[in-house]
Amino acid sequence: MSLLKAKSPRIREKRLDTLNAWLGRADEAIAEFSGEDTVQRIRTFSQSTQDDLLYALRLLAGIRNSVVVIHAPRGCAAAALYHRVSSGTGRWIVSNLDQRDTIMGADRKLRKAVVGAFRQYSPEVIFIIASPVAAINNDDIQAVVEELHEELELPIVPVYVTGFASRNAVTGYDIALHAILKHLAGPRGEHQRTAGVNLLSVVENGRDRLEAERLLLRLGVELNTLPDQASAASFRLATQARLSLSLDQDSENYLGLILRDEYGVPYVEQPRPIGIGATGRWLLEAGRALGIEDAARELHEQESGLLRRELGDFSLQGVRVYIALSVATAFALSDLVAEFGGQVAGITVGHLDQLHKARLKELVLQHPSLQLHVADGQPFEELNIVRRLAPDLYIGDVAHISQVGRLGIPVVSLENTPVLGYNGVAGLARSVSLALKNRSFAAALAKTPTPYTEAWYRRSPNWHIKKEVR
Amino acid sequence: MSNHIDGSRNSCALHGALLVIEAIDGAVPVIHSNAGCGFHYFLGLNRLNAGGDAFGGPPVSSSNISEKHVVFGGSSRLREQLKNTIKVVEADLYFIVSGCSTEMVGDDIPAMTKEGREQDFPVIYANTPGFRGDVHQGYQIAAKALVEQLPELLREKRPRAQGVVNLWGIIPHQDPFWAGNLEQIGRLMEGIGLKPNLLLGYGQDLDGWHRVPDAELNIVVSIWGETTAALLEERYGTPAITLGGLPVGAAAGRMLRAVSDKLGLEAERTERFIQAEESRLNRHLGAFADTYYRAGFQRDFALVGESAQVVGLSEFLTYTLGMVPRTLVITDNPSGEAKSTLHSSLSALVEGWGAELFFDEDHAAISALVRSGGAGLVLGSALEEAVADELGVPFLQVSFPLSGRVVLNRGYAGYQGATALLEDLGSLILSHALNVEVSSPASLCRTETVYHS
Repeated sequence: MSLLKAKSPRIREKRLDTLNAWLGRADEAIAEFSGEDTVQRIRTFSQSTQDDLLYALRLLAGIRNSVVVIHAPRGCAAAALYHRVSSGTGRWIVSNLDQRDTIMGADRKLRKAVVGAFRQYSPEVIFIIASPVAAINNDDIQAVVEELHEELELPIVPVYVTGFASRNAVTGYDIALHAILKHLAGPRGEHQRTAGVNLLSVVENGRDRLEAERLLLRLGVELNTLPDQASAASFRLATQARLSLSLDQDSENYLGLILRDEYGVPYVEQPRPIGIGATGRWLLEAGRALGIEDAARELHEQESGLLRRELGDFSLQGVRVYIALSVATAFALSDLVAEFGGQVAGITVGHLDQLHKARLKELVLQHPSLQLHVADGQPFEELNIVRRLAPDLYIGDVAHISQVGRLGIPVVSLENTPVLGYNGVAGLARSVSLALKNRSFAAALAKTPTPYTEAWYRRSPNWHIKKEVR
Repeated sequence: MSNHIDGSRNSCALHGALLVIEAIDGAVPVIHSNAGCGFHYFLGLNRLNAGGDAFGGPPVSSSNISEKHVVFGGSSRLREQLKNTIKVVEADLYFIVSGCSTEMVGDDIPAMTKEGREQDFPVIYANTPGFRGDVHQGYQIAAKALVEQLPELLREKRPRAQGVVNLWGIIPHQDPFWAGNLEQIGRLMEGIGLKPNLLLGYGQDLDGWHRVPDAELNIVVSIWGETTAALLEERYGTPAITLGGLPVGAAAGRMLRAVSDKLGLEAERTERFIQAEESRLNRHLGAFADTYYRAGFQRDFALVGESAQVVGLSEFLTYTLGMVPRTLVITDNPSGEAKSTLHSSLSALVEGWGAELFFDEDHAAISALVRSGGAGLVLGSALEEAVADELGVPFLQVSFPLSGRVVLNRGYAGYQGATALLEDLGSLILSHALNVEVSSPASLCRTETVYHS
């Protein structure tokens, strides 16, 4: 049966045994995914973090000519306000459920909001994002979709996030991508192939996406980038592509698999192009798949030569780095740190699952006793770990980066710093050099206390991580 | 029935309560809801006030309920979270706030609070599901919970403080200049010999909240402080003075006279202080005058913001700086009664100058109002930047949400606040005037809206 028949994909915990709470050595992590059943962990103390709704919102904010209707009480639109104001993307309307709606249901209100969005913006597509309240209420979103799809004559795509079904926010990407393909990609099956290549880019930094596109365009590849900055037509086109190239398997894996399994588009999955070596391997792999290996090799030699000259004597010799990033980026960055002679002091990743077994094995070979922490936005654990390790530098893309800064450790944020490709290495080297050269802001920040008790810092950092009892 | 909103800037009750709690030194919110509620708050509120989060990240305690808790109830999860928050997070007060899902499921939050109290933990709670209202209701709900429940935590009787005045109605971050505004108003109160109880912001801890009942007067800056003042009058018989808007420039003098009068302070001393403050502002106006004329400062304006800002800023802009009001949009959803009060307090400005006053929080609708009204200057939130660009006129971010502007300690209230506003507006108009000169003749024509009034 087609995967797309279902209303939503299976949550990550069920599909890939995904863990979001764990602490131990990297080799022990491999064992977690080797047995029959991966035991889920829960936290007995937790802190605010991302959920599937937030991830779906962020992904959909990047779809052109679309409007998002958030079917929820007003606060569930707060992050959408952030995307609109800070990056100018994402037009949205919130259905603004009130107390009465939580008792009586709110199908009528949703219908009004969708019609309002249509009249205000005349978009190509309207997305309806569900919410905890819509899920608990069991509002019949499907009925509204079917009715208005005919009346307004445009695709209306329901995105069934709940905010509580999965502990892994990355499930939100799966749910959004599932919905998009289900409603926008057109009939399944083998299609006439075009010469085009899908570049799978899910919520990448804009300059990172441009860097990947720049390199592939230099090889003469005809690109269809999605879902970032894609329009509804991009998804139909994607089903006819020659193949799909990956940028971040964690976020886009579901998209690559569906295009492969439902539409026969080969999926070339590989580590992120972060660091000189990894970018070269990424480029070569793409070249091999497209039969332009020589051109790819030549481009790598040219670009890496230029970059090495630009980097001069940049080195991380003797520098201990703590890394807190989404998992594919963290693994890639740990290679980069090693590439420049630095030492990885420890890693926090947002989640860990079956997709990472091979990478974990490589990691263990390179850093045999490396400590791995799995947590999405649990700074109390991270600060406990980082304070013990006292690294020279912290590189992260986490929301609590300024809290880490209060430990007095130099910090480099990758949230808005591009990291991909040759330009990524150059930019990262600049940021890291500056952070290590002048550490006075970290020292000034260290005068602001962190929010935690001294008793907590004396406890083991995994104190609140427990095996889930079923 | 509430309507759907395009680009709402008022978020929800839970987020409003978090704004209050995180602005009290030593208070920590314990969120009982989905993992994402606090993260929404961080992105959609903290981050849109560059310089906004108290803890260096998203809220530090949240029960992050999962499907199991939605199906079987989450009270036991809250019990566990509260107990562990007390061990992990340093605080003098743990304030439980609930979200939509835990309220729909019916978790017993008062019972969990009571359990915490029985173990001598300083815990209070408020029911703050997002479907109960926006940040303004959240502010009111949190203030009410603090006023009603904090006395229960106090063990010994404290000596009553003299000359205390409480300040209400300035909502942290929803007024981007909240901290500076509170400090400015506090400074003015000190100037006439009172002890201002700011309650929120730097150095404002539980001590201040415990002094609330001691106050001789409650000063209500915006309509959102009225319910708390009424509650305090009922509980402690404390009288209140309602300002109806931010006191900017001359309005600060009126406020000081009213307070002084109400409390029977020495009038001469109050007048001396007002004279000194006014004379400094006048000096600044004199020093600025050359730029005023040279840059063509005078023009008509559109102003989009919360009711207290619209009242306070438009008065100073119109009656001191010689600007002409054209379109005023109040975005904080006042109730019917508050709306008519605002109508009458702004009537001189509206009728006297042919301006139009609107109440709306819908981004698309507000942009349309500003666009059709036209103006030579737009003051509003980051959401109004696009329409100001369309009009080709200078644009100053004064209301929530902000982007590309950092506000840490700046305030527009009082006399010093008036000078700060003058500095911001002057810099903006001056740089705009210079930029227009070097660009195309076409852009010069677009600033002529001032003639149409």
